[in-house]
Amino acid sequence: MLVTLSSALEQGLLYCFMVLGVYLTFRVLDFPDLTVDGSMTLGASVCAVLIINGASPFLATLAGTASGAAAGIVTGFIHILLKSDSADTNYGPKLISGILTTTALYTVNLRIMGRSNIPLLGETTFFDKLGSMLNVRMVHWPLVATLAVLAVIVKYLLDWFLHTDLGLSMRAIGDNEQMIRSLSVNTSVTRVIGLAVANALVALTGSLVAQQQGYTDIGMSVGVLVAGLAGVILGEAIFGTRSVSWVLFSVIAGSLVYRTLIALGLRVDWIKPTDLKLLTALFVMIALGAPVIRRKLVKS
Amino acid sequence: MTAATGSPSDSCALPRPSGRAAGFECRDIRKTFYRNSAFQIQALCGVDLTVAPGDFVTIIGSNGAGKSTLLNVIAGTFSVDGGELLLDGEDISKLPEHARAAFIGRVFQDPRAGTAPSLTIEENMCLALRRGRRRGLHMGVDSSRRQVIRENLCLVEMGLEKRPKTQVAKLSGGQRQAMSLLMATIAEPRLLLLDEHTAALDPKVAATTMELTERVVSARRLTTLMVTHNMELALAYGNRLIMMHAGRIILNVGPTEKKELTVAGLVQKFRDVAGESFTTDRMLLD
Repeated sequence: MLVTLSSALEQGLLYCFMVLGVYLTFRVLDFPDLTVDGSMTLGASVCAVLIINGASPFLATLAGTASGAAAGIVTGFIHILLKSDSADTNYGPKLISGILTTTALYTVNLRIMGRSNIPLLGETTFFDKLGSMLNVRMVHWPLVATLAVLAVIVKYLLDWFLHTDLGLSMRAIGDNEQMIRSLSVNTSVTRVIGLAVANALVALTGSLVAQQQGYTDIGMSVGVLVAGLAGVILGEAIFGTRSVSWVLFSVIAGSLVYRTLIALGLRVDWIKPTDLKLLTALFVMIALGAPVIRRKLVKS
Repeated sequence: MTAATGSPSDSCALPRPSGRAAGFECRDIRKTFYRNSAFQIQALCGVDLTVAPGDFVTIIGSNGAGKSTLLNVIAGTFSVDGGELLLDGEDISKLPEHARAAFIGRVFQDPRAGTAPSLTIEENMCLALRRGRRRGLHMGVDSSRRQVIRENLCLVEMGLEKRPKTQVAKLSGGQRQAMSLLMATIAEPRLLLLDEHTAALDPKVAATTMELTERVVSARRLTTLMVTHNMELALAYGNRLIMMHAGRIILNVGPTEKKELTVAGLVQKFRDVAGESFTTDRMLLD
């Protein structure tokens, strides 16, 4: 049971950067960004290819993260190209731009890797390197502690960023785009920066997951966006949204809760690991749909 | 940096004019909506208007006269089909909306339109303070900005300066509109556009908002265009009045004449000019 818990925490912390990215796009920017499914594998591919070619795992992780930012920028520019001037609340171009990038990234990722998966067994990963520097074996609790430190660092960086002039304008875009434009903010450019930051976080998860599980696979991020949404929803519902600083913690905690639920679910006999995507999709559907249904019931 | 916390009494002084207020000119501004369709509407059919620096012009007219379209065209929300918009002699009609917003402040009719609800009072004010300036990785609300924000908030005498960390969503419509007005003016815009900004408020709140507008505009000597439905407001405020009808300016009342104008007089003038304008319209269309 303790091993299950440590591995659930491990997964929760690995994926919390992706969940923070999803929070940034869906909630802060009001941009339902579907790039996530592509940018996570992109980060993992870039990182894995650099590692098997002998690059430092720290550098490889950094490069993987940066590749995600590039993917976000591409989505942002496609959105600028496709959106019409008067359609601020029109989600169509936002969805399409993410779908286009993700689809294109499938090819890009295969090209980067040269095949559909890269094993990292026997290679020195970020965790091995850090472990040898700190003289601990990076499994179970030491790994959880390392990831927790990383999560806290990223949380505080993001918290600081969202309180800078740039971060404030980003938050205002999701809140009231017309208003922030009338305060002289170039919303297109600001949105591109936001998408870059969000997808960098997603790709950071990709890089770390590849190194923790020991391989990169072209299908590793299928459905990861919905898992991210589940984390955001759980975090907000359980831990609240009283301020930006607080909600960043909520979202990280939401990621942990989600992975714990998954781990517990897997202990149930009749649930197979392959059922998880269906269950996650159902959960997100119910969580998003419940308020709507409740409103309809109250009305009738 | 100093911890800037003066007592409220000495920080409530009215702002002084910065001398940035611009002269403004519309030359033959034209705008058609739904061009080449059955719903084609000529919203502005050649608007000419010259405004001197520091002028406060009230714009009046019936529904569909083109008042709000004119403001939207000046702000860049809609592009013009033809004509020039000159701010201190410089044509701004090709600039995108956000670039014009660097020197144009706006308050909308809907009190929710001018503020970001999930941000705090001071975060909103801070966003407004950065109008026309670079927005980088500087901390949004720092102690020196906090002081400027405080000074401005206590102008509205609603106690907002005492709770800078309150979410704007928790404020009333009147409070939000007062904040919108502060946010439109805090960075000293060269031109201020007010689009029926008291029309959605209840009469009492509308009156205090109007009184606040008058104070802020005259203290900063802002060049101001105010659209309104309300003839009394149009007469009570500002030094000039224009009347629009069917996409044109049909009446332009200067400072001396405006002082003596009454609502009855204005209605009479409207009948005189609008009647004439109707016939010319028909002649043009036929």
